[in-house]
Amino acid sequence: MRKLRADTLFFLLVTALLGLANFLNVEKPAVSELEQRSLAARPEFSVQALFNGTYFKDYENYYSDTFIFRESIVKAGREIAQAFSFLSPGVSLTAGYEELPAPPEQEKEPPAEEPREMEKPPDDAPLLPEMDDGDDQNVGYWLVVEGRAVQLFKFDKDSFNYYADVLNRYQAELGRGVKIYSLIAPSNSEFVQLKRYSGITDSQNEALNYLKRRLAPGILSINAYDALNSHAGEYLYFRTDHHWTALGAYYAYCAFIEAAGEPPVPLERYRRVDLEGFLGSSYTKTLDKSLEENPDTLSLYLPFTEHEFTVYYAAEGRRSKVIDLQYAESKTDKYLVFISSGGGTWGVIKTEVKNGKRILVLKDSFGNALVPFLLPHYEEIYIVDSRFYSAAAAGKDILQFIRDNRINEVLFVNYMENVNWRKFMEGVQALLGG
Amino acid sequence: MVFSSLYFLCVFLPLNLLLYYLIKNRTYRNWLLIITSLFFYAWGEPVWVALLIFSTLFDYVNARVAGKNRDNWKGRAAVALSITGNLLILGFFKYAGFIAENLNSLLGAGLGVTAFGLPIGISFYTFQTISYVVDVYRGETEAQQSFPRLLLFVSLFHQLVAGPIVRYSDIAREIEARVETPAQFNYGVSRFIMGLGKKVLIANTAGKLSESFLGTDYSRLPVTGAWLGIFLFALQIYFDFSGYSDMAIGLGKMFGFTYKENFNYPYISRSAAEFWRRWHISLGSFFRDYVYIPLGGNRRRYLLNLLVVWSLTGLWHGAGWNFVIWGLYYFVLIFVEKKLLLRVFEKLPSIVSRIYLWVAVLVGWVFFYHLDLGEALQFLGIMFGVKAAAFSGPEVAIHFLSNAVFLAVAAICCTPVTRFIGERSKRLFPEKQGGAAFLAGKVLPPLAGAAVLVLSIIFLVGQSYNPFLYFRF
Repeated sequence: MRKLRADTLFFLLVTALLGLANFLNVEKPAVSELEQRSLAARPEFSVQALFNGTYFKDYENYYSDTFIFRESIVKAGREIAQAFSFLSPGVSLTAGYEELPAPPEQEKEPPAEEPREMEKPPDDAPLLPEMDDGDDQNVGYWLVVEGRAVQLFKFDKDSFNYYADVLNRYQAELGRGVKIYSLIAPSNSEFVQLKRYSGITDSQNEALNYLKRRLAPGILSINAYDALNSHAGEYLYFRTDHHWTALGAYYAYCAFIEAAGEPPVPLERYRRVDLEGFLGSSYTKTLDKSLEENPDTLSLYLPFTEHEFTVYYAAEGRRSKVIDLQYAESKTDKYLVFISSGGGTWGVIKTEVKNGKRILVLKDSFGNALVPFLLPHYEEIYIVDSRFYSAAAAGKDILQFIRDNRINEVLFVNYMENVNWRKFMEGVQALLGG
Repeated sequence: MVFSSLYFLCVFLPLNLLLYYLIKNRTYRNWLLIITSLFFYAWGEPVWVALLIFSTLFDYVNARVAGKNRDNWKGRAAVALSITGNLLILGFFKYAGFIAENLNSLLGAGLGVTAFGLPIGISFYTFQTISYVVDVYRGETEAQQSFPRLLLFVSLFHQLVAGPIVRYSDIAREIEARVETPAQFNYGVSRFIMGLGKKVLIANTAGKLSESFLGTDYSRLPVTGAWLGIFLFALQIYFDFSGYSDMAIGLGKMFGFTYKENFNYPYISRSAAEFWRRWHISLGSFFRDYVYIPLGGNRRRYLLNLLVVWSLTGLWHGAGWNFVIWGLYYFVLIFVEKKLLLRVFEKLPSIVSRIYLWVAVLVGWVFFYHLDLGEALQFLGIMFGVKAAAFSGPEVAIHFLSNAVFLAVAAICCTPVTRFIGERSKRLFPEKQGGAAFLAGKVLPPLAGAAVLVLSIIFLVGQSYNPFLYFRF
């Protein structure tokens, strides 16, 4: 042993000790809050899995996924990597390269097996809730510039054509009795001054103008872009999360409600609550140090309208909160406070406003922050997320759902990146059934 | 299992070393290596481990027949049987789909395409056993009388899955009587760490960065983006492959085996011919010794021999026309170099031939990367300004600036810089000159090794970071 060099001994020691530490560490984590995903579980042994090679492969994934001190090591690695990019202070590009998560299959039963880590439902609950953690595809570029993450937009014409086709079909099916509004939430790259980097992201305004020409005349296109752009200096988007803030959603709501012919409720009427220390999806995606040092504040505007909010998991309804503070403590999931994560097969808010107006908000997670502002205007607000609604779970397709509830307005609220992603809109199309 | 996996690094290797050095008896040590190597192979190919054993048995018999009958037809028949058998196995697993596809499109024959995946390492071990049987027949080495010892040669996990293509004659003596020394072990560990660093720190990083350019929507790709992308791919493939060879050589040394070098700084070459003397040396020498020279070498049908060798070299890398074109591309380059270019380069400053080599190799990688010929040609066009979206763009600039340090370090690592520093420091600080010499000779290399190891493990763990923002899908 004396003739072994120091680095040889170091090598043997480090590898063996890490191996031993992993062996002794029996309490393996199942979920990574940082990555917002469940970690690979120890694979079940079966002869079939052994012979087709998946057993060893899964075991290796499990081993590295549950490696001791993994999250600290991951963060240290990012910091080292970032320390080496000092030539371009404040700017870095992170490419997402994972496979697309598939939208849920519409015909399947709502997911019942996946246990939820954050909030245990009552023991007698027959079905576990789905949760709306976000929406867009998991690829693309995040540009971090001056402590702010920006998701870059690459205009895909075919997807926009498809979005128009889907909405036009809704209109054709629903006829004149139901008003249809299309509201697309721009991604924040449009409002960050990218000076040196112009050309790196495509113009979303042009994409929206392109879309407007393709929507059937009866569909009212709400220009959220202009509404937000006229307040460009304000806190419209989070720096560390791809969503808009409640303020950003409020300006989009103003544009919508004015188009629908009503004056918006002034923001001052709401009582504001601030939640500090929010590090959202863009942070978990990039693990950028400048984002971590610059967390967001999530502001809430508490509704003043009397209401009752029920979320249905298949046929089972559960009382819920429009502003659900059980998520306020989470570091990375604070956005779920809006309409209590926005999950479930569908939801309905019944208000004290007895004006006979019933709206369906067909939305992704960008709709979550907008819905609370609709309370003063509607008697009933139905909420459907195309990823969680299915005819099998709800007992009817979306057209029947609209007819049965005598809904007279449908508002589509989707994130620009989802409109730009055909697979997502296929889910919206699938709601129509047959 | 691959060497650059945490399970290999923290479980398989330490346990293997521990058991190996607890055992003192040579035969048991060999048995341990056989068992762990087969386990290592079965980890990735639980079924085809049987094929590996069968293939070894097949050539065990062939070599014994060939060894006893060097001067008669039986020997020749054994060699022929070995070559046919191995090429049939390789052909069946690697090329059946390719051949069927081409026959179908050529003749309209409705041949079914086999759905077997390619067993790991098959391209390497079939070549190793072919060379073994041929060498025995040629009398360059004796046939191995013990089957387990031959199985050890074929299955040794160091070189089984990704080379180098080790010749039996090179390690025949070491299988039976090798001496493991601390000096060798030290060298083995630092060589392994170096390979690990090449793979994890450089190749994987370059690979991830290249994805921003390669395989993207080429109608948006600017000229500089194409060059940066293919340069990153060149880094990735070199550091990946040579890193793997380094790890194999290092592992061999830890267990007392000496494998020949497989790479010799190919990117500092000044011609394509030199490049191939420095790139994947064990493959080049295989084709030289077992194809090119038997066909007649330089003396007879030179051009045809060259053509055959380069088509095969291309095809060996994958069952696709792009690989054939890639091989033929080198055939043309090497031919033109021999007839003309080398003489021209002699009269010019060396920078010209170096630039020529880089451009030539990068163009080659375009064909290597793109399985689809149309895409390859489109990409090549963009590199030279044909139908490029622009000359440059902010995305390229950001990537280039953010990774300038990485690119510089990687480019420097393509050159024999450590050797250069080592020689310089020896000259600057002759032995026994106190502090500075001690620092340069005894302190810095181990420190560098330890740092690379720690960084590699950190990055390996980091590569399992897979933020799946929306796990509710």
